[in-house]
Amino acid sequence: MTRFTARGISAFYGRKHVLDRVDLPDLTDNQVLGLLGPNASGKSTLMRCLSGEKTTEGRIAIDGETRANMGHDGWHHRLASMPQSPPNPSALLPTELMWSTARALDLDLSDQELGRQIEDIFKRLGLAELALAPLHTLSGGKRQLVGLALALMRDPDVLLLDEPTSALDLHWRMVVLDLVRERLAERGGVVIAALHDLDLAARYCDLIVLLHRGKIIASGTPSEVLTPANLARVYRVETRVTADEDGRPIVHVIRPLRDFETA
Amino acid sequence: MTEIGATLYQRFGSIHKRRLVTVSALAVGVVVMLGLDLWAGPAGLAFSDIVLGLIDPQQLELRHRIILWDVRLPDALIALVVGAALGLAGIETQTILDNPLASPFTLGVSSAAVLGASLAIVVVPVVPFFAEAAVLPMMALLFALGSGVLILMIVRWSNGARETVVLFGIALVFLCNALTAGLQYIASAEAVQQIVFWTIGNLTRAGWPEVAMVGACFVCVLPFSLRHVWVMTLLRGGEAHARSMGINVARLRLWVILRVSLLAAFAVCFVGAIGFIGLVGPHIARLILGEDHRMLVPGSALCGALILSCASFLSKALIPGVIIPVGILTAVVGVPVFLGLLSGRRRMA
Repeated sequence: MTRFTARGISAFYGRKHVLDRVDLPDLTDNQVLGLLGPNASGKSTLMRCLSGEKTTEGRIAIDGETRANMGHDGWHHRLASMPQSPPNPSALLPTELMWSTARALDLDLSDQELGRQIEDIFKRLGLAELALAPLHTLSGGKRQLVGLALALMRDPDVLLLDEPTSALDLHWRMVVLDLVRERLAERGGVVIAALHDLDLAARYCDLIVLLHRGKIIASGTPSEVLTPANLARVYRVETRVTADEDGRPIVHVIRPLRDFETA
Repeated sequence: MTEIGATLYQRFGSIHKRRLVTVSALAVGVVVMLGLDLWAGPAGLAFSDIVLGLIDPQQLELRHRIILWDVRLPDALIALVVGAALGLAGIETQTILDNPLASPFTLGVSSAAVLGASLAIVVVPVVPFFAEAAVLPMMALLFALGSGVLILMIVRWSNGARETVVLFGIALVFLCNALTAGLQYIASAEAVQQIVFWTIGNLTRAGWPEVAMVGACFVCVLPFSLRHVWVMTLLRGGEAHARSMGINVARLRLWVILRVSLLAAFAVCFVGAIGFIGLVGPHIARLILGEDHRMLVPGSALCGALILSCASFLSKALIPGVIIPVGILTAVVGVPVFLGLLSGRRRMA
């Protein structure tokens, strides 16, 4: 059982206010929250605040305990995040990346156990063939999957994904998000994903938060949030929203709106 | 090599073993090169005399004993320790700054050493309790350490931002070069010549105390480098991923740059600015050993030692009776080796 709460999150770059008292809905087991918003809306900053990498005002807690209560190590034991950029295309092998991470973090696993764990994660992500291929020989999409594998290393209860599918083609987008869902069904936990694909978000997320200029514009289920009015305000496009047979919204983008139309 | 169906653990293990063999071969190469380096020289000692003299010095006639123990051995050993120190400093700088062009010299350490040495040559300061010959390396060391302190302050102040550190290092290089040029402008022709000679780099000025000092610095730093091999390997995947796993990259950067500055300062202050090794040693090691720092860190130190030892041998053996400054030869030796490996890698890929 995992409960993740984030309330009153404010963040600054220098004196610039990039997040203004953001409240996320409380998340409990098996829930996927999607963060939506145009570029520079504060998605990535919010992700970095949630992971504890950037200092913030506000309260972020897992099962009622903050990072300060749990300590650095305890926090990262329960929460892992996957950065937006895939691992560098160096001569490093994906296995070396995973292995050295486990050892740098002093994970309590024998070499054999560690090998098995890495192999399992790679198999699930379709990386088994590439486990010992230098990262620079991998496509951007495959490297992004290696980044996801790294985030899954400690089997976290809270998984933060920053644009996890940005470098992936259609097939692998579905594979990754299906896998994230499957994993939740198996073991519980919560996922927060910053996404920019509206249809993908509607399909995979239980809850959606729409961010614009560091503030929350709308928060709720996909059909509550993805309305023509909200999308016009945030993305400056005219849309028509229909529902598929499961009642999930499908967004049809019609045209960009000019400034006076959104004001 | 490994049977099909082997587990990842086994396949990864066999890669590791293969690299262990490569590192061992490098170590053997260093020992062989040391022997060659001891053997080369104008006095015409036979190779058997060298081996004999090393095992039991009393067996050698006095003249040869002095040549071997007081001239050749310190020169050969300083080549090894300086090469190893620069190789180690180089790999750590490249990884921590995630920059293949970085070397300890990018941080301005050697330019500061040259400035210190030039100041000693031009101004000839009199320092109480210090022999005149010791003033020059001491000034070089002080300036190199001073530049290290500056870089560390920048690392702290910028909270470990890597572009800031690289840019500041390059700015420091230019500043020190300008000040050195200023000194040369006012100095006598003789002093200028001395500065140029020091800058090229030369191993023959070193004796046992210098070997001991650089060696002690290397031995003290190495365990700390080895303690960080895992996190340095992880860093090759990118800073964002290391951070997201909860690694404090800024603090790591501070420690690594402290180590590198110390190593580079001690390495250059006695022998001059032998720059190339800290850049190419790590690259050669990376080409033959891959990115796993468990092997790469010792491998890079061994590569540095091997290249400088080889250059030291060639400096004596190439033209009989003439000692070519070793700083000129490091690049002449290193570049072909490096290009050969690079083109070999191309063909394989």
